[in-house]
Amino acid sequence: MSSTRDRVDAAIGQGLNNALPELGQPDRDAVLTSGIGLDSVQIMNLVMEIEDELDISVPVDVLAETRTLNELAERLTRMIDGDTP
Amino acid sequence: MSIFEKFEAAARARSELAADGPSAIATPIDSVRSATRGTIDGQEVLLAGTNNYMGLTFDSDVIKASQDALTSSGSGTTGSRMANGSYDGHAALERELADAFGWPAAIVFSTGYQANLGTLSGLAADGDYLLVDADSHASIYDGCRLSRAQTLVFRHNDPANLDRRLARLGDEAKRAVVVVEGLYSMMGDQPPLDEFVEVKKKHGAWLVVDEAHSFGVFGKRGLGLSEQAGVLDDVDFIIGTFSKSLAGIGGFCVSRHQQLELLRLASRPYIFTASPSPAVIAGTRVALQKIVAGKALRAQLQRNIERLYAGARKLGFRLGSDTPGPVAAIILPDRATALAHWKGLLASGVYANLMIPPATPAGLNLLRISMSAAHSDEDVDQILDGLTVLAADLAPPELAQAVS
Repeated sequence: MSSTRDRVDAAIGQGLNNALPELGQPDRDAVLTSGIGLDSVQIMNLVMEIEDELDISVPVDVLAETRTLNELAERLTRMIDGDTP
Repeated sequence: MSIFEKFEAAARARSELAADGPSAIATPIDSVRSATRGTIDGQEVLLAGTNNYMGLTFDSDVIKASQDALTSSGSGTTGSRMANGSYDGHAALERELADAFGWPAAIVFSTGYQANLGTLSGLAADGDYLLVDADSHASIYDGCRLSRAQTLVFRHNDPANLDRRLARLGDEAKRAVVVVEGLYSMMGDQPPLDEFVEVKKKHGAWLVVDEAHSFGVFGKRGLGLSEQAGVLDDVDFIIGTFSKSLAGIGGFCVSRHQQLELLRLASRPYIFTASPSPAVIAGTRVALQKIVAGKALRAQLQRNIERLYAGARKLGFRLGSDTPGPVAAIILPDRATALAHWKGLLASGVYANLMIPPATPAGLNLLRISMSAAHSDEDVDQILDGLTVLAADLAPPELAQAVS
């Protein structure tokens, strides 16, 4: 059985494919805005894909405090495992 | 490292948009002489990029009422509604707005932006939820940021997606405030309000409809999409603005819940700002009467809308909305093409709006044309003639297909 983090990582991969196919699989430690060059609307579209993949709802303030995809994965993993986001 | 460094990309984009002629963003308008005519860069233009849907900005009764109030009550209130800024006119306008809906409560705000900020941040506090459409206006997102409630975003115009998000909240959904708009101003599209109402009722949530761009335009009495869709009885709060159909500046929230009044004690954007000037309030009161009784204006606007949508489609342009409405957003494949279209239309004497990311959804580049009840048949002809030239000279319409 895969860990929550594995599931989250896979969902981020799928979300990237669906929302931003032109990006491929970017460096998950790169800053979403200045590093990968996403604007706020693109980030929101990506997160909505990930929410659907994982069947969770991610509060907007979690996004505001998240700079990279790996940070997002950590927060989502904690959310799903029942810790505060 | 300068604190201004972060603006460099936006500044570059602005320079590009301002090269060769008047800028496509923050376009300097030399003068405006009617609801539909102005001057840009020395050229007389037809205004088709305003939000003057009812065309009331030059209505003689609206102007007279504003002038009289300016003379009788002065140029400004110099204070908040909480302090010295509550005049007879503010209370009268609130009564008249509530009466128009047949509801018990209304609050006037100093701008439309503040109406969303003040209502959402006041309504939803710590422990509550705000569920907002992904394509919501910035003022809705900013209202959420100012609130202590948890904000969740659902997919644009997707009641099933909202349903799933509310279901995840379980019993907490009864503390959820759902926010949709009556007309999305970038793409010009409308929500399936009846379906949203069903989802809201199923979960016992609360529904806010922002009718900023639909008030005046839709419904027998111009109350907005909620009236037209026949769902007013199931909407909890309606937010609107004075700066579009009502031809002034300011905003409002009306509600079937008397307790809306309590927001006056909690809403920071209501408390900590000066109230609208007497002239604005007086003009808005007259404009409101004209809108509620404005069947003929709505008929002319509807005629203009249908002609513009049909004409643009016939030319092969792809529009942001399948349902015709007061905003026609022509989808273009990239910024350069969209800018060329904007300049081309201006060259034919028509001012519209260039809309580009991140203001637009899905990274789209749009030429946004907005219709007014003040546009004549000949005005619509002029817009369509301009579009005909663009279709012939610029992007082949099939280019628009490149954007899916």
